[in-house]
Amino acid sequence: MKLRPFYAVLEREMLRMIRQRTRLVAAMVRPLIWLLVIGGGFNAAMSSARGVAYRDFLVPGVLGMTALFGAMLAALTTVYDKESGVMRMMIVAPLPHAWIVLAKMVSAALAAIVQSVLLVVLLLLLGRFGTGTRWLLLGAAIASTSLACAGIGMLTASFSRTLDNFAATMNFVIFPVFFFSGSLYPVQTLPAVLKQVALVNPYTYGVDFLKHAVLPGSATTDFSLGLDVAVLAGFSILALAIASWRFSRETAYEPMIRVLAGKRN
Amino acid sequence: MNAAAIRAAGLVKRYGETAAVDGVDLDIAPGEFFGLLGPNGSGKTTTIHMLATLIRPTAGSAQVAGFDIGRESVRAREAIGIVFQESALDRSLTVSENLRFAGLLLDLPPKTIAERSGELLELFGLQEHRKAPVSTLSGGMRRALDIVRGVLHRPRVLFLDEPTIGLDLPNRRRIWRFINRLRVHTSMTVLLTTHYLEEADSCDRVSFIRKGRLVESGTPRALVEHLGKHIVEVESEDIERVVTNLEPKLGASLRDGVTAMFRWDREDIAELTRLQSDFASDVGSWKVRRPNLNDVFLWVAGGKALKP
Repeated sequence: MKLRPFYAVLEREMLRMIRQRTRLVAAMVRPLIWLLVIGGGFNAAMSSARGVAYRDFLVPGVLGMTALFGAMLAALTTVYDKESGVMRMMIVAPLPHAWIVLAKMVSAALAAIVQSVLLVVLLLLLGRFGTGTRWLLLGAAIASTSLACAGIGMLTASFSRTLDNFAATMNFVIFPVFFFSGSLYPVQTLPAVLKQVALVNPYTYGVDFLKHAVLPGSATTDFSLGLDVAVLAGFSILALAIASWRFSRETAYEPMIRVLAGKRN
Repeated sequence: MNAAAIRAAGLVKRYGETAAVDGVDLDIAPGEFFGLLGPNGSGKTTTIHMLATLIRPTAGSAQVAGFDIGRESVRAREAIGIVFQESALDRSLTVSENLRFAGLLLDLPPKTIAERSGELLELFGLQEHRKAPVSTLSGGMRRALDIVRGVLHRPRVLFLDEPTIGLDLPNRRRIWRFINRLRVHTSMTVLLTTHYLEEADSCDRVSFIRKGRLVESGTPRALVEHLGKHIVEVESEDIERVVTNLEPKLGASLRDGVTAMFRWDREDIAELTRLQSDFASDVGSWKVRRPNLNDVFLWVAGGKALKP
Protein backbone atom coordinates (compact mmCIF):
# COMPACT_ATOMS: atom_id res chain seq x y z
CA MET A 1 0.00 0.00 0.00
CA LYS A 2 1.12 3.52 -0.72
CA LEU A 3 1.84 5.50 2.43
CA ARG A 4 2.59 8.93 0.97
CA PRO A 5 -1.02 9.66 -0.04
CA PHE A 6 -2.11 8.55 3.41
CA TYR A 7 0.42 10.88 4.96
CA ALA A 8 -0.74 13.69 2.66
CA VAL A 9 -4.25 13.56 4.09
CA LEU A 10 -2.94 13.45 7.69
CA GLU A 11 -0.56 16.34 7.10
CA ARG A 12 -3.28 18.49 5.58
CA GLU A 13 -5.59 17.81 8.55
CA MET A 14 -2.88 18.81 11.03
CA LEU A 15 -2.02 21.91 9.02
CA ARG A 16 -5.65 22.95 8.98
CA MET A 17 -6.02 22.34 12.71
CA ILE A 18 -3.01 24.53 13.49
CA ARG A 19 -4.23 27.22 11.05
CA GLN A 20 -7.71 27.35 12.53
CA ARG A 21 -6.64 28.46 15.98
CA THR A 22 -10.15 29.46 17.02
CA ARG A 23 -11.29 25.89 16.39
CA LEU A 24 -8.48 24.65 18.61
CA VAL A 25 -9.18 27.21 21.34
CA ALA A 26 -12.89 26.35 21.24
CA ALA A 27 -12.00 22.69 21.56
CA MET A 28 -10.17 23.50 24.80
CA VAL A 29 -12.63 26.04 26.20
CA ARG A 30 -15.74 23.88 25.65
CA PRO A 31 -14.75 21.00 27.98
CA LEU A 32 -13.25 23.38 30.54
CA ILE A 33 -16.54 25.28 30.77
CA TRP A 34 -18.39 22.02 31.29
CA LEU A 35 -15.95 20.84 33.88
CA LEU A 36 -15.45 24.05 35.84
CA VAL A 37 -18.85 25.72 35.52
CA ILE A 38 -21.35 22.88 35.18
CA GLY A 39 -19.24 20.43 37.13
CA GLY A 40 -18.73 23.01 39.85
CA GLY A 41 -22.44 23.87 39.99
CA PHE A 42 -23.70 20.30 40.14
CA ASN A 43 -20.94 19.33 42.52
CA ALA A 44 -22.33 21.78 45.05
CA ALA A 45 -25.96 20.84 44.41
CA MET A 46 -25.62 17.07 44.28
CA SER A 47 -24.33 14.35 46.46
CA SER A 48 -21.50 12.30 44.99
CA ALA A 49 -22.09 10.01 42.01
CA ARG A 50 -21.28 6.52 43.18
CA GLY A 51 -18.74 7.61 45.70
CA VAL A 52 -16.93 10.02 43.40
CA ALA A 53 -17.35 13.79 43.60
CA TYR A 54 -19.29 15.00 40.56
CA ARG A 55 -16.53 17.28 39.35
CA ASP A 56 -14.19 14.28 39.29
CA PHE A 57 -16.84 12.10 37.70
CA LEU A 58 -17.04 14.62 34.87
CA VAL A 59 -13.31 14.42 33.91
CA PRO A 60 -13.65 11.30 31.70
CA GLY A 61 -16.86 12.82 30.32
CA VAL A 62 -15.19 16.00 29.09
CA LEU A 63 -12.22 14.05 27.71
CA GLY A 64 -14.72 12.01 25.72
CA MET A 65 -16.44 15.23 24.66
CA THR A 66 -13.18 16.59 23.26
CA ALA A 67 -12.55 13.38 21.33
CA LEU A 68 -16.14 13.39 20.05
CA PHE A 69 -16.22 17.04 18.90
CA GLY A 70 -12.67 16.95 17.55
CA ALA A 71 -13.21 13.80 15.51
CA MET A 72 -16.70 14.70 14.33
CA LEU A 73 -15.76 18.20 13.16
CA ALA A 74 -12.70 16.85 11.34
CA ALA A 75 -14.57 13.95 9.75
CA LEU A 76 -17.38 16.23 8.67
CA THR A 77 -14.89 18.31 6.68
CA THR A 78 -15.27 15.44 4.21
CA VAL A 79 -18.64 16.96 3.38
CA TYR A 80 -16.91 20.28 2.83
CA ASP A 81 -14.26 18.53 0.75
CA LYS A 82 -17.01 17.09 -1.43
CA GLU A 83 -18.15 20.60 -2.27
CA SER A 84 -14.69 22.07 -2.73
CA GLY A 85 -11.80 21.14 -4.95
CA VAL A 86 -10.10 18.91 -2.43
CA MET A 87 -12.14 15.82 -3.17
CA ARG A 88 -11.38 16.35 -6.86
CA MET A 89 -7.69 16.12 -6.05
CA MET A 90 -8.26 12.96 -4.08
CA ILE A 91 -10.46 11.10 -6.57
CA VAL A 92 -8.00 11.58 -9.43
CA ALA A 93 -5.11 10.26 -7.35
CA PRO A 94 -4.00 6.76 -8.29
CA LEU A 95 -5.42 5.07 -5.18
CA PRO A 96 -8.33 2.80 -4.49
CA HIS A 97 -11.10 5.16 -3.34
CA ALA A 98 -11.63 3.26 -0.06
CA TRP A 99 -8.08 4.33 0.83
CA ILE A 100 -9.27 7.95 0.91
CA VAL A 101 -12.01 7.10 3.40
CA LEU A 102 -9.52 5.32 5.66
CA ALA A 103 -7.09 8.24 5.45
CA LYS A 104 -9.83 10.76 6.27
CA MET A 105 -11.02 8.65 9.20
CA VAL A 106 -7.55 8.21 10.65
CA SER A 107 -6.76 11.90 10.23
CA ALA A 108 -10.00 12.84 12.01
CA ALA A 109 -9.04 10.48 14.85
CA LEU A 110 -5.57 12.03 14.95
CA ALA A 111 -7.05 15.52 15.22
CA ALA A 112 -9.18 14.29 18.14
CA ILE A 113 -6.19 12.64 19.80
CA VAL A 114 -4.09 15.80 19.58
CA GLN A 115 -6.90 17.87 21.09
CA SER A 116 -7.52 15.32 23.85
CA VAL A 117 -3.83 15.23 24.73
CA LEU A 118 -3.78 19.03 24.91
CA LEU A 119 -6.75 18.89 27.27
CA VAL A 120 -5.02 16.25 29.40
CA VAL A 121 -2.06 18.62 29.74
CA LEU A 122 -4.36 21.50 30.72
CA LEU A 123 -6.18 19.33 33.27
CA LEU A 124 -2.86 18.18 34.70
CA LEU A 125 -1.86 21.82 35.17
CA LEU A 126 -5.21 22.42 36.88
CA GLY A 127 -4.56 19.42 39.13
CA ARG A 128 -7.65 17.58 37.97
CA PHE A 129 -6.24 14.07 37.77
CA GLY A 130 -6.32 11.77 40.75
CA THR A 131 -3.23 9.89 41.84
CA GLY A 132 -4.75 6.61 40.67
CA THR A 133 -4.92 7.59 36.98
CA ARG A 134 -3.66 4.77 34.74
CA TRP A 135 -1.82 6.72 32.09
CA LEU A 136 -1.15 3.98 29.55
CA LEU A 137 -4.75 2.93 29.71
CA LEU A 138 -5.78 6.57 29.29
CA GLY A 139 -3.71 6.78 26.08
CA ALA A 140 -5.40 3.67 24.72
CA ALA A 141 -8.82 4.96 25.77
CA ILE A 142 -8.28 8.32 24.04
CA ALA A 143 -7.02 6.63 20.86
CA SER A 144 -9.84 4.09 20.59
CA THR A 145 -12.56 6.61 21.53
CA SER A 146 -11.20 9.07 18.96
CA LEU A 147 -11.21 6.41 16.25
CA ALA A 148 -14.78 5.35 17.04
CA CYS A 149 -15.90 9.00 17.05
CA ALA A 150 -14.16 9.50 13.69
CA GLY A 151 -16.17 6.50 12.53
CA ILE A 152 -19.42 8.17 13.60
CA GLY A 153 -18.26 11.27 11.72
CA MET A 154 -17.36 9.41 8.51
CA LEU A 155 -20.70 7.59 8.58
CA THR A 156 -22.51 10.91 8.96
CA ALA A 157 -20.41 12.49 6.21
CA SER A 158 -21.03 9.62 3.83
CA PHE A 159 -24.78 9.97 4.24
CA SER A 160 -25.04 13.76 4.00
CA ARG A 161 -24.88 15.35 0.60
CA THR A 162 -24.34 19.01 1.31
CA LEU A 163 -22.98 21.41 3.85
CA ASP A 164 -26.49 22.65 4.56
CA ASN A 165 -26.84 19.60 6.72
CA PHE A 166 -24.03 20.74 8.91
CA ALA A 167 -25.99 22.56 11.61
CA ALA A 168 -28.56 19.79 11.58
CA THR A 169 -25.75 17.29 12.00
CA MET A 170 -24.49 19.15 15.05
CA ASN A 171 -27.91 19.09 16.64
CA PHE A 172 -29.06 15.66 15.57
CA VAL A 173 -25.83 13.68 15.75
CA ILE A 174 -23.19 15.20 18.00
CA PHE A 175 -25.43 16.36 20.84
CA PRO A 176 -27.54 13.17 21.08
CA VAL A 177 -24.39 11.06 20.94
CA PHE A 178 -22.97 13.12 23.78
CA PHE A 179 -26.10 13.29 25.94
CA PHE A 180 -27.17 9.65 25.45
CA SER A 181 -23.97 8.35 26.99
CA GLY A 182 -22.37 8.05 30.37
CA SER A 183 -20.54 11.37 30.01
CA LEU A 184 -22.74 13.34 32.39
CA TYR A 185 -24.32 10.56 34.49
CA PRO A 186 -23.80 6.87 35.13
CA VAL A 187 -25.57 4.74 32.51
CA GLN A 188 -26.83 2.18 35.02
CA THR A 189 -28.98 4.73 36.85
CA LEU A 190 -30.60 6.14 33.67
CA PRO A 191 -34.36 5.60 33.12
CA ALA A 192 -35.05 2.46 31.04
CA VAL A 193 -35.59 4.09 27.63
CA LEU A 194 -32.60 6.43 27.88
CA LYS A 195 -30.54 3.52 29.08
CA GLN A 196 -31.41 1.47 25.98
CA VAL A 197 -30.34 4.35 23.73
CA ALA A 198 -27.09 4.75 25.66
CA LEU A 199 -26.38 1.03 25.35
CA VAL A 200 -26.47 1.10 21.53
CA ASN A 201 -24.39 4.29 21.41
CA PRO A 202 -20.78 3.27 20.68
CA TYR A 203 -19.53 6.50 22.25
CA THR A 204 -20.91 5.30 25.62
CA TYR A 205 -18.24 2.59 25.63
CA GLY A 206 -15.53 5.14 24.87
CA VAL A 207 -16.51 7.21 27.92
CA ASP A 208 -16.61 4.02 29.97
CA PHE A 209 -13.10 3.15 28.80
CA LEU A 210 -11.96 6.64 29.86
CA LYS A 211 -13.55 6.09 33.28
CA HIS A 212 -11.61 2.86 33.68
CA ALA A 213 -8.42 4.85 33.09
CA VAL A 214 -9.18 8.03 35.04
CA LEU A 215 -11.29 6.68 37.91
CA PRO A 216 -9.95 3.16 38.33
CA GLY A 217 -11.52 0.96 40.93
CA SER A 218 -14.49 3.27 41.44
CA ALA A 219 -18.07 2.18 40.92
CA THR A 220 -18.55 4.72 38.12
CA THR A 221 -17.78 2.33 35.25
CA ASP A 222 -20.73 0.58 33.65
CA PHE A 223 -19.08 -2.18 31.60
CA SER A 224 -15.98 -4.31 31.65
CA LEU A 225 -12.83 -3.06 29.95
CA GLY A 226 -13.00 -5.97 27.50
CA LEU A 227 -16.49 -5.07 26.36
CA ASP A 228 -15.49 -1.41 25.86
CA VAL A 229 -12.53 -2.35 23.68
CA ALA A 230 -14.54 -4.89 21.69
CA VAL A 231 -17.39 -2.48 20.99
CA LEU A 232 -15.09 0.42 20.03
CA ALA A 233 -12.94 -1.73 17.74
CA GLY A 234 -15.92 -3.50 16.19
CA PHE A 235 -17.77 -0.26 15.58
CA SER A 236 -14.72 1.46 14.05
CA ILE A 237 -14.24 -1.36 11.55
CA LEU A 238 -17.95 -1.46 10.71
CA ALA A 239 -18.11 2.34 10.25
CA LEU A 240 -15.07 2.25 7.97
CA ALA A 241 -16.59 -0.54 5.89
CA ILE A 242 -19.97 1.19 5.51
CA ALA A 243 -18.44 4.60 4.76
CA SER A 244 -16.09 3.09 2.14
CA TRP A 245 -18.97 1.22 0.57
CA ARG A 246 -21.12 4.36 0.48
CA PHE A 247 -18.25 6.32 -0.95
CA SER A 248 -17.40 3.92 -3.76
CA ARG A 249 -20.93 2.88 -4.58
CA GLU A 250 -21.72 4.09 -8.03
CA THR A 251 -25.10 5.69 -7.35
CA ALA A 252 -23.79 7.65 -4.40
CA TYR A 253 -20.53 8.47 -6.06
CA GLU A 254 -21.47 9.49 -9.57
CA PRO A 255 -23.66 12.47 -8.74
CA MET A 256 -20.76 13.63 -6.62
CA ILE A 257 -18.33 13.26 -9.52
CA ARG A 258 -20.69 15.19 -11.73
CA VAL A 259 -20.97 18.03 -9.23
CA LEU A 260 -17.25 17.99 -8.51
CA ALA A 261 -16.31 18.12 -12.13
CA GLY A 262 -18.66 21.02 -12.70
CA LYS A 263 -21.13 19.18 -14.89
CA ARG A 264 -24.60 20.42 -14.18
CA ASN A 265 -27.46 19.32 -16.34
CA MET B 1 5.04 3.62 -33.22
CA ASN B 2 3.65 2.68 -29.83
CA ALA B 3 0.12 1.50 -29.18
CA ALA B 4 -2.63 4.12 -29.03
CA ALA B 5 -2.54 6.55 -26.08
CA ILE B 6 -6.32 6.44 -25.86
CA ARG B 7 -8.46 3.78 -27.42
CA ALA B 8 -12.19 3.47 -26.85
CA ALA B 9 -14.62 1.04 -28.41
CA GLY B 10 -18.37 1.51 -28.18
CA LEU B 11 -18.32 3.54 -24.96
CA VAL B 12 -21.85 4.01 -23.61
CA LYS B 13 -23.01 5.78 -20.47
CA ARG B 14 -26.68 5.65 -19.67
CA TYR B 15 -28.40 7.53 -16.85
CA GLY B 16 -31.76 5.83 -16.56
CA GLU B 17 -33.36 6.04 -19.98
CA THR B 18 -31.14 8.74 -21.40
CA ALA B 19 -27.78 7.95 -22.94
CA ALA B 20 -25.26 10.68 -22.10
CA VAL B 21 -22.70 8.90 -24.28
CA ASP B 22 -24.04 6.59 -26.93
CA GLY B 23 -21.28 4.52 -28.50
CA VAL B 24 -18.05 6.51 -28.78
CA ASP B 25 -14.99 5.08 -30.55
CA LEU B 26 -11.65 6.81 -30.26
CA ASP B 27 -8.14 6.03 -31.40
CA ILE B 28 -5.68 8.70 -30.33
CA ALA B 29 -1.96 8.30 -31.00
CA PRO B 30 0.78 9.10 -28.46
CA GLY B 31 1.68 12.77 -28.57
CA GLU B 32 -1.46 13.70 -30.47
CA PHE B 33 -3.35 16.88 -29.57
CA PHE B 34 -6.98 15.88 -29.89
CA GLY B 35 -10.06 18.08 -29.51
CA LEU B 36 -13.47 16.79 -28.51
CA LEU B 37 -15.96 19.46 -29.45
CA GLY B 38 -19.70 19.76 -29.11
CA PRO B 39 -22.55 21.71 -27.55
CA ASN B 40 -23.42 21.61 -23.83
CA GLY B 41 -24.80 18.28 -22.73
CA SER B 42 -23.47 16.48 -25.80
CA GLY B 43 -21.45 14.03 -23.70
CA LYS B 44 -17.94 15.53 -23.82
CA THR B 45 -17.41 15.65 -20.08
CA THR B 46 -19.00 12.26 -19.49
CA THR B 47 -16.64 10.78 -22.08
CA ILE B 48 -13.63 12.34 -20.35
CA HIS B 49 -14.80 11.09 -16.96
CA MET B 50 -15.11 7.56 -18.26
CA LEU B 51 -11.65 7.71 -19.83
CA ALA B 52 -10.23 9.16 -16.62
CA THR B 53 -11.75 6.16 -14.71
CA LEU B 54 -13.95 8.40 -12.58
CA ILE B 55 -17.21 6.85 -13.74
CA ARG B 56 -17.86 3.40 -15.08
CA PRO B 57 -19.20 2.98 -18.60
CA THR B 58 -22.53 1.20 -19.01
CA ALA B 59 -21.10 -0.61 -22.01
CA GLY B 60 -17.97 -0.63 -24.14
CA SER B 61 -14.32 -0.62 -23.21
CA ALA B 62 -11.36 1.71 -23.27
CA GLN B 63 -7.63 1.70 -22.63
CA VAL B 64 -5.71 4.77 -21.60
CA ALA B 65 -1.92 4.61 -21.85
CA GLY B 66 -2.38 0.88 -22.36
CA PHE B 67 -4.38 0.32 -19.14
CA ASP B 68 -7.96 -0.84 -19.09
CA ILE B 69 -10.10 1.83 -17.44
CA GLY B 70 -12.16 -0.77 -15.59
CA ARG B 71 -9.77 -3.50 -14.47
CA GLU B 72 -6.67 -1.32 -14.15
CA SER B 73 -8.21 1.97 -13.06
CA VAL B 74 -5.58 2.75 -10.44
CA ARG B 75 -2.69 2.16 -12.89
CA ALA B 76 -4.54 4.17 -15.52
CA ARG B 77 -4.91 7.06 -13.07
CA GLU B 78 -1.14 6.95 -12.53
CA ALA B 79 -0.60 7.59 -16.22
CA ILE B 80 -3.14 10.38 -16.69
CA GLY B 81 -3.56 13.94 -15.57
CA ILE B 82 -6.90 15.68 -15.53
CA VAL B 83 -7.88 19.32 -15.25
CA PHE B 84 -11.56 19.71 -14.46
CA GLN B 85 -13.85 22.53 -15.49
CA GLU B 86 -13.87 23.58 -11.85
CA SER B 87 -10.78 24.07 -9.77
CA ALA B 88 -9.34 21.07 -7.92
CA LEU B 89 -7.41 22.96 -5.27
CA ASP B 90 -7.63 23.54 -1.54
CA ARG B 91 -8.31 27.24 -1.18
CA SER B 92 -7.22 27.28 2.45
CA LEU B 93 -3.69 26.14 1.61
CA THR B 94 -0.91 28.04 -0.16
CA VAL B 95 0.25 27.36 -3.72
CA SER B 96 3.19 25.18 -2.67
CA GLU B 97 1.16 23.42 0.03
CA ASN B 98 -1.41 22.52 -2.58
CA LEU B 99 1.24 21.09 -4.87
CA ARG B 100 2.80 19.18 -1.99
CA PHE B 101 -0.61 17.72 -1.08
CA ALA B 102 -1.36 16.82 -4.70
CA GLY B 103 2.13 15.39 -5.21
CA LEU B 104 2.00 13.21 -2.10
CA LEU B 105 -1.43 11.95 -3.18
CA LEU B 106 0.29 10.99 -6.43
CA ASP B 107 2.88 9.12 -4.36
CA LEU B 108 5.77 11.37 -5.42
CA PRO B 109 8.75 11.80 -3.06
CA PRO B 110 8.80 15.28 -1.41
CA LYS B 111 12.09 16.13 -3.11
CA THR B 112 10.66 15.42 -6.57
CA ILE B 113 7.54 17.45 -5.73
CA ALA B 114 9.66 20.44 -4.72
CA GLU B 115 11.80 20.24 -7.87
CA ARG B 116 8.95 19.84 -10.31
CA SER B 117 6.82 22.47 -8.56
CA GLY B 118 9.70 24.90 -8.94
CA GLU B 119 10.12 24.15 -12.65
CA LEU B 120 6.42 24.25 -13.43
CA LEU B 121 5.66 27.37 -11.40
CA GLU B 122 8.51 29.06 -13.28
CA LEU B 123 7.10 27.89 -16.60
CA PHE B 124 3.64 29.14 -15.65
CA GLY B 125 4.82 32.45 -14.19
CA LEU B 126 3.65 31.64 -10.66
CA GLN B 127 7.04 31.56 -8.95
CA GLU B 128 6.42 34.70 -6.84
CA HIS B 129 3.10 33.37 -5.58
CA ARG B 130 4.52 30.18 -4.08
CA LYS B 131 3.63 31.19 -0.55
CA ALA B 132 0.30 32.85 -1.36
CA PRO B 133 -2.94 31.17 -0.24
CA VAL B 134 -4.89 29.92 -3.25
CA SER B 135 -7.88 32.03 -2.16
CA THR B 136 -5.87 35.18 -2.97
CA LEU B 137 -5.01 34.14 -6.56
CA SER B 138 -6.84 35.51 -9.59
CA GLY B 139 -8.97 33.18 -11.70
CA GLY B 140 -6.29 32.92 -14.36
CA MET B 141 -3.53 32.11 -11.88
CA ARG B 142 -5.72 29.54 -10.16
CA ARG B 143 -6.38 27.86 -13.48
CA ALA B 144 -2.67 27.84 -14.27
CA LEU B 145 -2.01 26.25 -10.87
CA ASP B 146 -4.70 23.69 -11.62
CA ILE B 147 -2.82 22.67 -14.73
CA VAL B 148 0.47 22.50 -12.81
CA ARG B 149 -1.33 20.23 -10.35
CA GLY B 150 -2.58 18.07 -13.20
CA VAL B 151 0.86 17.49 -14.73
CA LEU B 152 3.00 17.22 -11.59
CA HIS B 153 3.47 13.47 -12.11
CA ARG B 154 4.33 13.92 -15.81
CA PRO B 155 1.31 12.04 -17.07
CA ARG B 156 1.48 10.45 -20.49
CA VAL B 157 -2.09 11.53 -21.21
CA LEU B 158 -3.58 14.85 -20.14
CA PHE B 159 -7.32 15.55 -20.13
CA LEU B 160 -8.24 19.22 -20.31
CA ASP B 161 -11.96 19.73 -19.77
CA GLU B 162 -12.66 23.29 -20.92
CA PRO B 163 -9.41 24.63 -19.47
CA THR B 164 -10.18 28.27 -20.25
CA ILE B 165 -13.88 28.40 -19.37
CA GLY B 166 -14.83 31.56 -17.50
CA LEU B 167 -11.53 33.33 -18.18
CA ASP B 168 -11.10 36.64 -19.99
CA LEU B 169 -9.21 36.83 -23.26
CA PRO B 170 -5.73 37.80 -21.93
CA ASN B 171 -5.91 34.98 -19.40
CA ARG B 172 -7.11 32.50 -22.02
CA ARG B 173 -4.11 33.44 -24.16
CA ARG B 174 -1.78 33.01 -21.19
CA ILE B 175 -3.19 29.56 -20.39
CA TRP B 176 -2.71 28.53 -24.00
CA ARG B 177 0.86 29.74 -24.01
CA PHE B 178 1.44 27.50 -20.96
CA ILE B 179 -0.27 24.51 -22.51
CA ASN B 180 1.76 24.89 -25.69
CA ARG B 181 5.01 25.23 -23.77
CA LEU B 182 4.07 22.13 -21.82
CA ARG B 183 3.38 20.16 -24.97
CA VAL B 184 6.74 21.20 -26.43
CA HIS B 185 8.51 20.18 -23.20
CA THR B 186 6.82 16.85 -22.61
CA SER B 187 5.25 15.53 -25.83
CA MET B 188 2.28 14.28 -23.82
CA THR B 189 -0.98 13.26 -25.43
CA VAL B 190 -3.66 15.88 -24.80
CA LEU B 191 -7.41 15.41 -25.04
CA LEU B 192 -9.13 18.78 -24.96
CA THR B 193 -12.75 19.83 -24.77
CA THR B 194 -13.57 23.46 -25.37
CA HIS B 195 -16.29 25.86 -26.35
CA TYR B 196 -13.84 28.33 -27.82
CA LEU B 197 -13.41 26.88 -31.27
CA GLU B 198 -10.43 29.03 -32.22
CA GLU B 199 -8.57 27.17 -29.44
CA ALA B 200 -9.19 23.89 -31.24
CA ASP B 201 -7.62 25.19 -34.46
CA SER B 202 -4.20 24.05 -33.29
CA CYS B 203 -5.44 20.49 -32.59
CA ASP B 204 -3.99 17.73 -34.74
CA ARG B 205 -7.43 16.24 -34.97
CA VAL B 206 -10.90 17.07 -33.67
CA SER B 207 -14.13 15.13 -33.28
CA PHE B 208 -17.52 16.71 -32.97
CA ILE B 209 -19.88 15.01 -30.56
CA ARG B 210 -23.63 15.42 -30.63
CA LYS B 211 -26.16 13.64 -28.41
CA GLY B 212 -23.47 11.25 -27.22
CA ARG B 213 -22.25 10.22 -30.67
CA LEU B 214 -19.21 11.31 -32.64
CA VAL B 215 -20.61 12.85 -35.80
CA GLU B 216 -17.60 14.29 -37.62
CA SER B 217 -13.88 13.71 -37.20
CA GLY B 218 -10.80 14.97 -38.97
CA THR B 219 -8.19 17.68 -39.02
CA PRO B 220 -9.68 21.12 -38.34
CA ARG B 221 -8.71 22.17 -41.87
CA ALA B 222 -10.40 19.18 -43.53
CA LEU B 223 -13.61 19.70 -41.55
CA VAL B 224 -13.74 23.36 -42.50
CA GLU B 225 -13.14 22.41 -46.13
CA HIS B 226 -15.95 19.86 -45.98
CA LEU B 227 -18.32 22.64 -45.03
CA GLY B 228 -17.74 24.51 -48.28
CA LYS B 229 -15.75 27.31 -49.83
CA HIS B 230 -17.94 30.13 -48.58
CA ILE B 231 -20.58 30.90 -45.99
CA VAL B 232 -23.38 33.28 -46.93
CA GLU B 233 -24.78 35.06 -43.91
CA VAL B 234 -28.14 36.72 -44.53
CA GLU B 235 -30.00 38.96 -42.14
CA SER B 236 -33.60 40.00 -42.71
CA GLU B 237 -36.70 41.22 -40.89
CA ASP B 238 -38.67 38.64 -42.83
CA ILE B 239 -36.17 35.78 -42.64
CA GLU B 240 -38.87 33.11 -43.06
CA ARG B 241 -39.70 34.26 -46.56
CA VAL B 242 -36.08 34.89 -47.56
CA VAL B 243 -35.10 31.38 -46.48
CA THR B 244 -38.05 29.84 -48.31
CA ASN B 245 -36.95 31.63 -51.47
CA LEU B 246 -33.22 31.01 -51.11
CA GLU B 247 -33.16 27.38 -50.00
CA PRO B 248 -34.05 25.98 -53.45
CA LYS B 249 -31.04 27.85 -54.84
CA LEU B 250 -28.49 27.56 -52.00
CA GLY B 251 -29.49 24.39 -50.19
CA ALA B 252 -30.23 23.84 -46.48
CA SER B 253 -29.70 26.77 -44.14
CA LEU B 254 -28.88 27.23 -40.49
CA ARG B 255 -31.18 29.69 -38.73
CA ASP B 256 -30.40 31.83 -35.73
CA GLY B 257 -33.01 34.49 -34.95
CA VAL B 258 -33.19 36.92 -37.84
CA THR B 259 -30.09 35.56 -39.56
CA ALA B 260 -29.64 32.51 -41.74
CA MET B 261 -26.46 30.87 -43.01
CA PHE B 262 -26.02 29.04 -46.29
CA ARG B 263 -23.05 27.16 -47.69
CA TRP B 264 -21.53 27.76 -51.09
CA ASP B 265 -19.08 25.17 -52.34
CA ARG B 266 -17.70 27.00 -55.39
CA GLU B 267 -14.89 29.53 -55.58
CA ASP B 268 -16.90 31.51 -58.11
CA ILE B 269 -19.30 33.80 -56.26
CA ALA B 270 -20.72 35.66 -59.27
CA GLU B 271 -24.03 33.88 -58.82
CA LEU B 272 -24.13 34.91 -55.15
CA THR B 273 -23.65 38.53 -56.14
CA ARG B 274 -26.54 38.21 -58.58
CA LEU B 275 -28.76 36.65 -55.88
CA GLN B 276 -27.81 39.45 -53.49
CA SER B 277 -29.11 42.11 -55.86
CA ASP B 278 -32.31 40.09 -56.47
CA PHE B 279 -33.03 40.04 -52.75
CA ALA B 280 -31.67 43.51 -52.00
CA SER B 281 -35.05 44.90 -50.94
CA ASP B 282 -35.81 42.05 -48.48
CA VAL B 283 -32.40 41.65 -46.92
CA GLY B 284 -30.84 43.82 -44.19
CA SER B 285 -27.32 42.49 -44.61
CA TRP B 286 -25.71 39.98 -46.94
CA LYS B 287 -22.23 38.72 -46.11
CA VAL B 288 -20.05 36.23 -47.96
CA ARG B 289 -17.06 34.92 -45.99
CA ARG B 290 -14.74 31.94 -45.53
CA PRO B 291 -15.99 29.24 -43.14
CA ASN B 292 -14.13 28.44 -39.92
CA LEU B 293 -14.33 25.84 -37.17
CA ASN B 294 -17.10 27.81 -35.49
CA ASP B 295 -19.28 27.23 -38.54
CA VAL B 296 -18.54 23.52 -38.39
CA PHE B 297 -19.56 23.56 -34.74
CA LEU B 298 -22.81 25.41 -35.46
CA TRP B 299 -23.62 23.12 -38.35
CA VAL B 300 -22.95 20.00 -36.31
CA ALA B 301 -24.80 21.37 -33.28
CA GLY B 302 -27.71 22.17 -35.56
CA GLY B 303 -27.87 18.50 -36.49
CA LYS B 304 -26.96 19.09 -40.14
CA ALA B 305 -24.70 16.82 -42.15
CA LEU B 306 -21.44 18.43 -43.18
CA LYS B 307 -21.55 17.03 -46.71
CA PRO B 308 -24.33 18.76 -48.67
